[in-house]
This record gives sequence, C-alpha cells and structure tokens, in this order.
Amino acid sequence: MNENLFTSFSTPTLMGLPIIIMIIAFPALLYPTSNRLISNRIRTLQQYLINLILKQMMAIHSPKGRTWSLMLMSLIIFIASTNLLGLLPHTFTPTTQLSINLGLAIPLWAGAVILGFRYKFKTSVSHFLPQGTPILLIPMLIIIETISLFIQPMALAVRLTANITAGHLLMHLIGAATLALFSISTSTALITFIILLLLTMLEFAVALIQAYVFTLLVSLYLHDNT
Amino acid sequence: MLSRVVLSAAATAAPALKNAALLGPGALQTARIFHTGQPSLAPVPPLPEYGGKVRFGLIPEEFFQFLYPKTGVTGPYMLGTGLILYFLSKEIYVVTAETFSSIATIGLLIYGIKKYGPSVAEFADKLNEDKLAKLEEAKQASIKSIQDAIDMEKAQQALVQKRHYLFDVQRNNIAMALEVTYRERLHRVYREVKNRLDYHISVQNVTRRKEQEHMINWVEKSVVQSISAQQEKETIAKCIQDLKLLAKKAQAQPVM
Repeated sequence: MNENLFTSFSTPTLMGLPIIIMIIAFPALLYPTSNRLISNRIRTLQQYLINLILKQMMAIHSPKGRTWSLMLMSLIIFIASTNLLGLLPHTFTPTTQLSINLGLAIPLWAGAVILGFRYKFKTSVSHFLPQGTPILLIPMLIIIETISLFIQPMALAVRLTANITAGHLLMHLIGAATLALFSISTSTALITFIILLLLTMLEFAVALIQAYVFTLLVSLYLHDNT
Repeated sequence: MLSRVVLSAAATAAPALKNAALLGPGALQTARIFHTGQPSLAPVPPLPEYGGKVRFGLIPEEFFQFLYPKTGVTGPYMLGTGLILYFLSKEIYVVTAETFSSIATIGLLIYGIKKYGPSVAEFADKLNEDKLAKLEEAKQASIKSIQDAIDMEKAQQALVQKRHYLFDVQRNNIAMALEVTYRERLHRVYREVKNRLDYHISVQNVTRRKEQEHMINWVEKSVVQSISAQQEKETIAKCIQDLKLLAKKAQAQPVM
C-alpha cells in the first residue's frame, strides 16, 4: 500500500529488518562466472559487452590510469544493473538514495584528485588556471576553479540521484494519472498510457546513459590526473 | 604420547611385541585411509545446451506435467486465472499507479525480447562459433605445418639415398683431372728432354760442319799454295793440248 508518492523510495525493510545490503548486493548474482572457454549465451553476451565497454572506455588512459579498469568496469556495471532493475515494478533502486551515490562519487573523485596531486603536483595545480587569462582576473578565476573542483563529486552524486529519482517519480505520477482517468474517460487514459510507454522507453535509456556518464566522468577526472 | 608409553611397557613385558613398538605410531597413520573419492576435475562435464522448457517464460513445463494427471491440460491455467482473480478481488494485490507503470515496463520488455531475442541469441552463438573456429584454425595450421615438415623430411631422406651418385661423379671428375695433369706433365717432360737432346745434336752437327769446312778450306789453301808457278804453266799447257785433241776428235766424229 502506498500512502504517498515517496514511499517507494524509503529504506526497504522485510519484517522490520533493513535488507538494503542484500538489495545492493543482488545485481552481482546476475553475472555468472565460469572458467570455461565457451559458455552459455548469457555469459557470452556479458563477456562481449564488458569487453566492448572496457576497450572503449580505457583506450584514452595511460598504463597508470588503466590500473583503474576493474574499478571503473565494476562501477558502470553496478550502476547500469541497479538502474535497470529499478525499472521493474515494486523494486527498490539503491541509486535513488543520495547516500549511496555520494558513497560512490566522493571516494572515486577524491582518489583521482589525490593521485594527481601526489604524482603530478604542478599539472594538477595548473588546472586551476586556464591558459591565456588576463592577469587581473587570476585570483577570482582560481577561486572559481577551486569551487568547481570541489563541486565535482557533489555534481556526480546529485546528477545520478536526481535523474533516476525524477524518472521513477514521473512514471509513478503518470501511472497514477492513468489510474485516475481510467474510470473517467478511457480514451484519455489510453493516451496517458501511451505517454507512459514512451516514458518507460526513455527511462531504459536514461538508466544506461546515467551509468555511462558517471563512469565516463570519473574516468575523465582520472585522465586529467594521471 | 600415552600410546608410546603403553607400547614400550608392552615391549619390555613381552619381547615379541618389540617389533610392534618400533612401528607403533606409524602403524596408526597407515591404518587410516584417505582420499577414497576421485577428486579430479578434468575432463569438465559438458554444459547443457538448452535451458529447461518454460511456458509464459516463467513456469517450467514440469509443473504442467505435475498437474496433468489430476487436472488435465487446463488445470494449471485454471489455477493461474483463479489465483490472479483472487488476488485482485480480495485486494491482496492492489491496483495502484505502479500497476500501470509495471504493465508498461513488462509489456515493453516482452515486446523487446520477442522481437530481438532470436537475433541476439544468434549473435551470441556466432561469437562462440568464431572463438571455436579460431582455435580450430590454429590447430589445423599447426597440424598442416607439422605434416609439411614430415613430407619435407621424407623428401630429404629420399635425396640422401641418392647422394652416392653425386660422390661417384665427383670421384670420376677428380680421377680424370689427375689423369690429365699427369699426361700433361709427362708430355712436358718429354718435350724438355727432347729439347736438350736436340741441342746437343745440333751442337755436334755444327761442330762437324765447321770442322769439315775448315778442313776443306785448309786443304784447298794448301793445294793452291802447293801449286808453284811452273807447275801451273805446265798444267795449263797440257790442258790446252788435251782440249785440242778432243776438238780434233770431236770434229772427226760426225753428228749422229
């Protein structure tokens, strides 16, 4: 029973016990492992997709940056699967919670920045001053760049949270509209239902795209700093 | 520990048991049997090629077979319909906004799977096929290269059998060359020796001729010297008389 719009975003409990840990760990069950050369279709497809994404994403990095491959691949697969699983009815999506997204974004961003400051101090500090700025503007620009640097993890986390939450909310609202219009005028309900269909297709795309964007940005921060 | 004490005590008590004491603790280990199973993991058992058959993508066929003896073909469908209507009517499952979004989502998923499922499955199968084909290709290439090596080896062995022809020809050549050189040298020796002998002969000839000439000259000179003037006049007068006589004789003889 949903009392208000946001009950689907509350921490899931089973008989009073929070099962959020199991929900976060669940997508890992969907990627079977095997040490055979030729496996079944689902493993073959997963291997193929992960290879494709890996090659495309890690091509721009130096060998030092490529040590993050496992991390970034796990990240994109986690975000993509949790987003996609959240589209199923009556499921809970961990990435709608800001806490989880902050937990993903801040350590990764901080790791990239600290790497940059530790190994390439001058390059990292030089990022604060874009080329060719007039001398009078330098202090203000440095302040602005610092602020933009510290906003990066916040932006990462909030972007993901907002997109997924907004998508879920919208689907819920339009579903409610369809339900309400069903008894009043069936044709309007049908139109609303079609809107819902389109929105669902968008949500599928958004789920994948958000995962991609998140990982891409982290990899970009890494690239700047290695 | 205690067993060892017991065994040593028993050994001192009965000397026949002394042998037992020596292998006391070890015997305990060998009496136990470990690893009775077959722990080997190879060869890996094959995966089933197709999953179990399902109806509606969710319910396995075995369920239908399970209900068939009692309720026939329509049994599980009646059960399903009844359950769904029960949940709906008793509001155990409430129709909310989520219902419509779930209809949309699940509908979209089913449509996508029905439409693109076979092509994706074909793609996955092709990936596997390609992998196997590549390995097979490598294996075939390896076999072929080894086969080629074997054939070449056999050819080389056949050639080696015929090598003696080459050696015979070379031997003949060398013998002929030696013979030619020998004869050439022999001929040269002969020529040299002949040269020297010719030289000696010509030296002798020249000497003799010179001697002859010298002697003739000397004889002539001495004869000429020996003819005094008186003798010369007498000889010339006699010659003229002889000639006159001859002329007379010649005139007397008529030409015949």
